[in-house]
Amino acid sequence: MTAAAAPRRSPLLPMLAVAVMAVLLYLPLMVWANYGPAARSLASGADLGCPSALACATQLRNPVLPSPGQLAGGFQALSLPPTSPLSAPYNAVVTGGETLLGLALAVVVGLGLAVLLVASRSFERSTLPWLVASQTVPIVAIAPMLAVLLGQYGVQGFLPKAIIAAFIAFFPVAVGMSRGLRSPDALQLDLMHTYSASSGQTFRLLRFPASLPYLFTALKVAATAALVGSIVAEISTISFSGLGKMLAENSRASDTIALWVIMVYGAVLGVALVGLIGLIERVATPWKART
Amino acid sequence: MTLLSASQPPSTAEPLAPPIVSVQNLQMVFQVPGGQTVALQDANLNIQKGEFISLIGPSGCGKTTLLRLLADLVQPTGGQILIAGQSPSAARKGRQYGYVFQAPALMEWRSVLANVMLPLQVMNVPGDRQARAREMLRLVGLDKFERNYPWQLSGGMQQRVSIARALAFDPPLLFMDEPFGALDEITREHLNLELLRLWRETGKTVIFVTHSIPEAVFLSTRVVVMTARPGKIEGIVDVDLPQPRSDDTRESPRFFEIATEIRELLKKGHA
Amino acid sequence: MTVTARLSAPRRLSPLGPLALAASLAGLLALCLLLARSAAPVSGLPWLLGVLALLLVGAYGVRWVAGGEGRAAHVLPAAFTLLLGVLAAEALLRAYAVPPGLIPTPGLVLQSLWAARTVLLQDTLYTFGLEGLLGFLLGTVAGLLLALVVVRNRFLELGLLPYAALFSSIPIVALAPVIVKAVGLEWPSKTLVVAVTVLFPVVIGAVRGLQSAQPMHLDLMHTYAATPAQTFREVRIPTALPFVFNALKVGSTLALISAIVAEFFGTDGHGLGFRIQIEVGRFNLSVVWAAIVLSSIVGIAFFGLINLLERRFVVTGRAP
Repeated sequence: MTAAAAPRRSPLLPMLAVAVMAVLLYLPLMVWANYGPAARSLASGADLGCPSALACATQLRNPVLPSPGQLAGGFQALSLPPTSPLSAPYNAVVTGGETLLGLALAVVVGLGLAVLLVASRSFERSTLPWLVASQTVPIVAIAPMLAVLLGQYGVQGFLPKAIIAAFIAFFPVAVGMSRGLRSPDALQLDLMHTYSASSGQTFRLLRFPASLPYLFTALKVAATAALVGSIVAEISTISFSGLGKMLAENSRASDTIALWVIMVYGAVLGVALVGLIGLIERVATPWKART
Repeated sequence: MTLLSASQPPSTAEPLAPPIVSVQNLQMVFQVPGGQTVALQDANLNIQKGEFISLIGPSGCGKTTLLRLLADLVQPTGGQILIAGQSPSAARKGRQYGYVFQAPALMEWRSVLANVMLPLQVMNVPGDRQARAREMLRLVGLDKFERNYPWQLSGGMQQRVSIARALAFDPPLLFMDEPFGALDEITREHLNLELLRLWRETGKTVIFVTHSIPEAVFLSTRVVVMTARPGKIEGIVDVDLPQPRSDDTRESPRFFEIATEIRELLKKGHA
Repeated sequence: MTVTARLSAPRRLSPLGPLALAASLAGLLALCLLLARSAAPVSGLPWLLGVLALLLVGAYGVRWVAGGEGRAAHVLPAAFTLLLGVLAAEALLRAYAVPPGLIPTPGLVLQSLWAARTVLLQDTLYTFGLEGLLGFLLGTVAGLLLALVVVRNRFLELGLLPYAALFSSIPIVALAPVIVKAVGLEWPSKTLVVAVTVLFPVVIGAVRGLQSAQPMHLDLMHTYAATPAQTFREVRIPTALPFVFNALKVGSTLALISAIVAEFFGTDGHGLGFRIQIEVGRFNLSVVWAAIVLSSIVGIAFFGLINLLERRFVVTGRAP
């Protein structure tokens, strides 16, 4: 039989089923993981407020794996009120803002570099290999050091995290944009030539619009990496706000439930960032076919 | 002699063997959003062993659908097909035909030789498969390219490899779906000659889909003219040009007459 | 072939090119040696101007080298740029008397790299070998197996894949502390973080690859009355390989990053991430730079290895 297109079924029901299955698998795993520490705690005479290790498995203050009830409680504690500087949503917005600013910086500098790369072959040959190589390098390893350095030179607060995010995002953006600026095919360039278009016009009317899809693809990839950079930067310096700061505090305090809650907020932030870029992409490139 | 009836074989005095392909009241209806498309309506056709049959017609006339029905790539909604006395499904499992697609459909990760060997591997054909594949490549004139990869070959050469592949396991039938459609005219005419040579040397029965009237006339012993909306067989034209055919055949007056006949049939169905 | 506009035509006939390059390199080297001998200069400005002038000369030389079409013209400009950059950095850092604890000179970094080589190599083995490579292999195998299951079951495909896309957006740095707290401070927790990070791109890439078999190839196998296993082996797997290798390339970078970031959240005293964190706290930035240089080399080598494997196993339809 030939490969016919499968009818488009909604993914909602299967996703729900998988989620239910995952929760059902998680519960025994959680009890099993927490049982050991609970038993040890009870044996050492601690008063946990529950009769047996089994019952205590869902009541530990620092469980190995939190129960759904504990998670719900943790969410409530850390999310309300949302405008408080101590709440996770507030800090998530701060971190998101740092990352977005960093991404914007990366686009500006990346575009400039991409133009240079396309304009000068010697510049391309001397710099592009390093730009490409830098994408295989764990740049995030530089984040702690960069954060401390910037602090020493007086750059503190919001800005250093944005700069680090920009640094991380800059490389994929520059490489992607230079590929995009070079993407118009020979026929289109010949066409501009027959119009006696100046290289500025060719850039504005042909190369730049052609490079936008490449820019957004690179941005989506860079966004998650830049987010990691912002958070690592927040951890490495004394920060007053941001998810990284919350992570550092709760990591030191070993508050497992809080860590899980922050993880979820981090995930939501990551998805939101990529979604936001996708939205901007739709507005900026309305001609692109949506698959 | 020209025949307009849809199902009579050429009337000579020889006793006739049962046809190798027999199509009776064949019907193919596709469900599409908003209704139905009748791709093929009430087709009847008998093909004798050793013939070279072309199916010609405009797009939508059902010629590719008919070929795919014969090849068991799609199931009919009505009617019957017998290939060498079996259903298309049994014929396919019995490896009774080789199929050549519109594009070479070579596997880019296999060398030319390995591509020709593919059916031999899948069908578990005993014997020296490499030698057999080499023989096929020699037949199509590409033995020097056995170690190359498809991307290194031109479109025409890739199609020749595709034909060698279809012949590799020595099936009695060859189904070809506009194999030369993507090629330029000069290459196409050259490959037409090659194909006729192969046909003569191997004695296979060929069913060939095309939308080019000169190609159909040049290659075939009979041409099945089809028209669209609904897809049906408008008529069958006997091509009594002498064999073996050469480029001179294209310029003969009889060639022109037969081509005109086919064109008239096509116009009639189009009106 | 696209036409690139050039700022000005390279002048191949002039012999000044290689001369300029040699002069620039020698000049910068001389400046470095001069600065190394004497005490910190009063004002950095004349040195800055000197370095800039030499760099301009050097840029002219590099442009000459980049003007050709041969192998050398493709490889040398980048190499020389690195050399010029390193020498200029060394000279400027000394000229402005930047405290070496803050921004160490390249020379100092190399010295620290050599001095701490045993510790750093041990850390690299730990981070790259135990955590990065092992996690990468685990994540890849799990991802491929999961993809095989998902592809045969439409229900699972619809239900699992969206989660895979969702989970791949979780910043590693949020996932790491959770796993480290749950599993422990030793290397298995980081290996798990790496495996989870690598798993998702591999699943998504492998599923896409397995589903992108050309209909004509599938029809061809149907005309051969091939069994589903044969079709899988001869068509689906080779078609999927380029997609899988793309995912592996992404995964290789993620593996190293995940291992290092996960170490920020707790280790038992080994690893490049641990080393970076500790030495940043002690302001031993030359060791930090040395660790970063090592991780970069490892990252490039790992990526290069995957590239090599790809070239061995994947025959593309394009000229290599």
